[in-house]
Amino acid sequence: MKDVSLLNIPDDFRYAEDHEWAGLEGDNVVIGINDYAQDQLGDIVFVELPKIGSSFNKGDEFGTVESVKAVSELYMPVGGEIIEVNSALEGTPELVNKDPYKEGWMIKVKPHDTAEFNLLMTKDAYLEILKG
Amino acid sequence: MQKESKQTPLYAWHVAQGANMVNFGEYEMPLWYRSGAKNEHLAVLTKAGLFDTSHMAVVMVEGPDAFKLIQFCFTRDLNACVGRNRTHIVSGKCVYGVFLNQRGELIDDALVYLLENNLFMIVVNADMGGEIAQQLKDHAEEKDVVKITDLTDKVGKIDLQGPLAGVILKEVIKNAETVLEDMHYFSFKGHFDKNSSIADTVRFTDNTPALLSRTGYTGEFGFEIFVEPDRLVRIWNMVLEAGRNFGLIPCGLAARDSLRAGAALPLSRVDTGPWPFLNHPWMFVLPYNEGMTGFTKHFIGDEALMRIDNAEYTCAFAGFDLRKVNHDTAVVLDQKGNAIGKVLTCVTDMGIGRYNNRIYSISSPDKPEDFEPRGLACGFIKVKTELISGQIVELKDGKRKIEVMIVDDIRPDRTARRPIKKMMRMPGQDNDRSLKGSKSFIPNHTFRDGKIYNT
Repeated sequence: MKDVSLLNIPDDFRYAEDHEWAGLEGDNVVIGINDYAQDQLGDIVFVELPKIGSSFNKGDEFGTVESVKAVSELYMPVGGEIIEVNSALEGTPELVNKDPYKEGWMIKVKPHDTAEFNLLMTKDAYLEILKG
Repeated sequence: MQKESKQTPLYAWHVAQGANMVNFGEYEMPLWYRSGAKNEHLAVLTKAGLFDTSHMAVVMVEGPDAFKLIQFCFTRDLNACVGRNRTHIVSGKCVYGVFLNQRGELIDDALVYLLENNLFMIVVNADMGGEIAQQLKDHAEEKDVVKITDLTDKVGKIDLQGPLAGVILKEVIKNAETVLEDMHYFSFKGHFDKNSSIADTVRFTDNTPALLSRTGYTGEFGFEIFVEPDRLVRIWNMVLEAGRNFGLIPCGLAARDSLRAGAALPLSRVDTGPWPFLNHPWMFVLPYNEGMTGFTKHFIGDEALMRIDNAEYTCAFAGFDLRKVNHDTAVVLDQKGNAIGKVLTCVTDMGIGRYNNRIYSISSPDKPEDFEPRGLACGFIKVKTELISGQIVELKDGKRKIEVMIVDDIRPDRTARRPIKKMMRMPGQDNDRSLKGSKSFIPNHTFRDGKIYNT
């Protein structure tokens, strides 16, 4: 298990308590799970993502990530419409382990309310939670 | 309140290797190492893996009445338990069975070893040494001459498992050919106690005495190795070093769990537990007579087992893809959607997959050429109604539902029972040479991408 000091938690993303990350791409928000989550889950063997065009509120379950250890729900850090999903994860779910912030991204969302993004935690606030 | 967790002598090694640690049976144990549980699972199916199993407990039972006491507390009939012909236990053999209470419910499962006349070793699960020792003491009669010693945390144990376990072991033990040549499944040699008269039978090249047992909890060929705790780290490193060129890697509890489930082996107190020990895939551990009308001996729990006629049914299942459910929250639904039971274990065996309605393993000799295992969910359920092999049920966990098939067995082509002579040759070496005639077969191979290349 990685020590908190060894985790890769980039500055330019925001974080949810359920260990999702969210990054701005123009007006849209790209979402995945962070380094802490992938390290805790272990080998990710299956990722179930929503249909493009579906809409969710902040906190809704949008999919599941399945590792050798458990099946975990994924929750929307911001509400919005799914405009793109990472279809590469269907055949190579291990990308979430290898590169959780780039190749292992999960969904792209057109947010209902951009203010929700700003309410997410910064890196420092999130690390405080991990340190407990 | 959680009890303070314990550590095995390998704890610092696990942490230094970056293992994800987890509390299991009161011990801090590695769940997986850096290469991940999937890689570890596949290594045991194709090459070999090394597990720290020092969390397991050892109880010694010694004296003229040891046999009588174990015969009464343990389910296997020690007079009829070895081999197909069910002969009585002899020194050098061990048997798998369970300890039950008067209600016919499981306390723990165990391997019972006959070390020498009047000396038995019982291996039980983590944190169970004290309870099993007490169970034995409670049932010893006052006139009995028997000494029961709980060796919890006083024995180190590692499991070397996988098809290359034998060729790796050959590198690190003295007189390996003589030691290994007649090691049948469920036989053992040597002793970890240097003062024992049989300690000289098995020694590592550094002279460490060991009890070497041709058993394991993966369904694959291999050994459980018992040594004194202060020799454990040294032996672990020696075996790992010797196995490096053969693809041996350390493995954690996650791989151990998925390997044993794929081999249809129960996890004690999860797949078996405090409910009547009846109607499950491991009925061979009960000493039924030929007509199943009674037992061949009297033992704790026998009357309850004969009386109870409404016990639930435990069955093995295999899914149709790798998706699983969380066992603690999932329910079992029949074809009409009625809830009929609960999920005991649900894991993914990453080394198997379905192809034309058949399950193949990554190590199946007859696997189709384009077969790539994607993994299958598998495990055990406990239900109110009897299910037969081939029936389909649904496992439902929140929004997730998966269909699974009731099966008699899960991962095919396992190596655990293969004759040791076959396992002492490198894969692809087909000529039938005896062990003694094959001294120089090991070098001249390199391993890449899980395949062996002649150099």
